[in-house]
Amino acid sequence: MMSAVSMPIGEATIGPFFPGAYVDAGANDLTRWQGRSAQGQLIDIRGRVTEDEGVPLQNVVLEIWQADANGIYRHPADPRAKHADADFFGWGRAATDADGAFHFRTIMPGRTHLPNGTLRAPHINVVVLASGLMRQLQTVMFFEGNAANATDAVLACVHPAAFQEALIAKADGPRKYRFDIRLCGADETPFFED
Amino acid sequence: MSIQVDLVKGAKADTYTIPPIVDGTQPTRIVEGYPQTARRTPSRPLLRRPLTLSELTGPLDLSGRLAATSADVAGQSARRALGQLIVLRLAVRDEDGSPIAGTMVEMWQANAAGRYAHPNDSDHAPLDPHFQGNARVQTDASGNIEIRTIKPGAYPVPGPDRWWRPPHVHFSVWGKVWLSRVVTQMFFPGDPLNEQDLILNAVVDAEARARLVARSVPTQAAPGDALVFEHTVVVRGKRATPTEHA
Ligand SMILES: [Fe+2]
Repeated sequence: MMSAVSMPIGEATIGPFFPGAYVDAGANDLTRWQGRSAQGQLIDIRGRVTEDEGVPLQNVVLEIWQADANGIYRHPADPRAKHADADFFGWGRAATDADGAFHFRTIMPGRTHLPNGTLRAPHINVVVLASGLMRQLQTVMFFEGNAANATDAVLACVHPAAFQEALIAKADGPRKYRFDIRLCGADETPFFED
Repeated sequence: MSIQVDLVKGAKADTYTIPPIVDGTQPTRIVEGYPQTARRTPSRPLLRRPLTLSELTGPLDLSGRLAATSADVAGQSARRALGQLIVLRLAVRDEDGSPIAGTMVEMWQANAAGRYAHPNDSDHAPLDPHFQGNARVQTDASGNIEIRTIKPGAYPVPGPDRWWRPPHVHFSVWGKVWLSRVVTQMFFPGDPLNEQDLILNAVVDAEARARLVARSVPTQAAPGDALVFEHTVVVRGKRATPTEHA
C-alpha cells in the first residue's frame, strides 16, 4: 500500500546573515578529515561567483559532494560503499570573499560506477546558496582534458553542446583548476533542476 | 548515529527520476520588489538531468565534519537573552512521513529587537550581548530537535524597496541524500507581517505557504517557562525511482 505523500517544504533564500561560524575553518579542505589524509591526487579548485554583468558576489555559500579517488561514495546507497576511503568524507563548504572568490582543496574524484556498469566522468556536485537566490542552484563540475567527459550522462544533457564548456574546470597550473560560476547573463553557468 | 537508507529500489538501474515539483509549492525565483533575485537567477531554463548515485548519495553523520552546538540558544539566568522565551520543536521527515534520524540542522535568527549578530547587519536595532542566534544540532532517533531560543523580532530590509521581514527562523537541513538538501525559513502563526512578506508570499500555493508557518502549541498543553512552536520540514529524495527505459 502506498503511504500518503507529504509535500517537500518550500525553500527560501539563505539571506545575507548566514552565520560566519557555519563556514567552519577547514570545511573547504576535503583532503584532511579527523587528522588523516585522503587517498588520491590533491587538487586545488579556485573560482569566482558573479551575478549579472559579471559583478562579483560576496557571501555566497558553496557546498560540494564527490566520490573518493576510486569513484566510491561514502554512503550506503553506493554498492561499493564498503570499499570507500575511510579518510575521505566527500563533502565540503566554502564561502566567497569580497571579490567573489572561493577555494576548495580536495582530491580528484574517480569515475563512479552506475549499477548497469556504465561509468560517470570524474565530477563534483555543487550547490549554490546566496542571498537573492530564492531556491538553491545545482550545478556539476567536470575536469578539462578528461576523455570521459564526452560520454557523461549528465554533461550530455547540456544543450547546445557549447554550453558544456562552462561546466568544465580549466587546468590552471599543476594540480590546480579554475571553475567560475556565473549565475546570470549571456555566458551563465548551466544549472540543473534540483 | 547511523542513518537508514532505503532509496535505491532497483539494483540494475543506471539512472533515476524523481517526480517534478508541484507548481506553486516552491517560491518563484524572481520576486518583484526584491531586486537581487533578478540579478542572480539564471536566465535560461534549468536542465533536467538523469539522477545517478551522485544525487542519491550525500553526506551523512555531518557532525564528523561540522561542529555541533548546544540547542539552548537563549542561555540561562544572568546570561539569558532578552525577549520572549520559546521552544521550537522541529520534525525532519521524508516525503512518506518517516522520521530522519541523525541528520544535521542549522538554524539562525535575529534577536528580539530584530538584529542579527552578523557584520552584514547594520540595522539600528541593538545587539544583545547574550544572544548569538544560531545552533547546529542533529535530529534524535525520532527525527526531532528541540531548540530553546527567544522569539525573533521583525526587521526592515534596507534599500529603495524597503519592506519588513516578519519574525522568522532560518533552517538549513541535509536529509539523507544530495537531493534532500534544503534551506528554508519558518514563520510564526498569526503575525500580520506574514501577509506582506515578499519571501513567504513567493510561494503562491496557499497550502505550501501554510507549511512554512509553525504551529503554536496551546499553553495548557505546554507547561513551563516558554511558548512552544512545532514545525515540520519534509525533504525530497525518497520518491526517486529507477528510470524506465523504453
Ligand atoms: Fe532573516
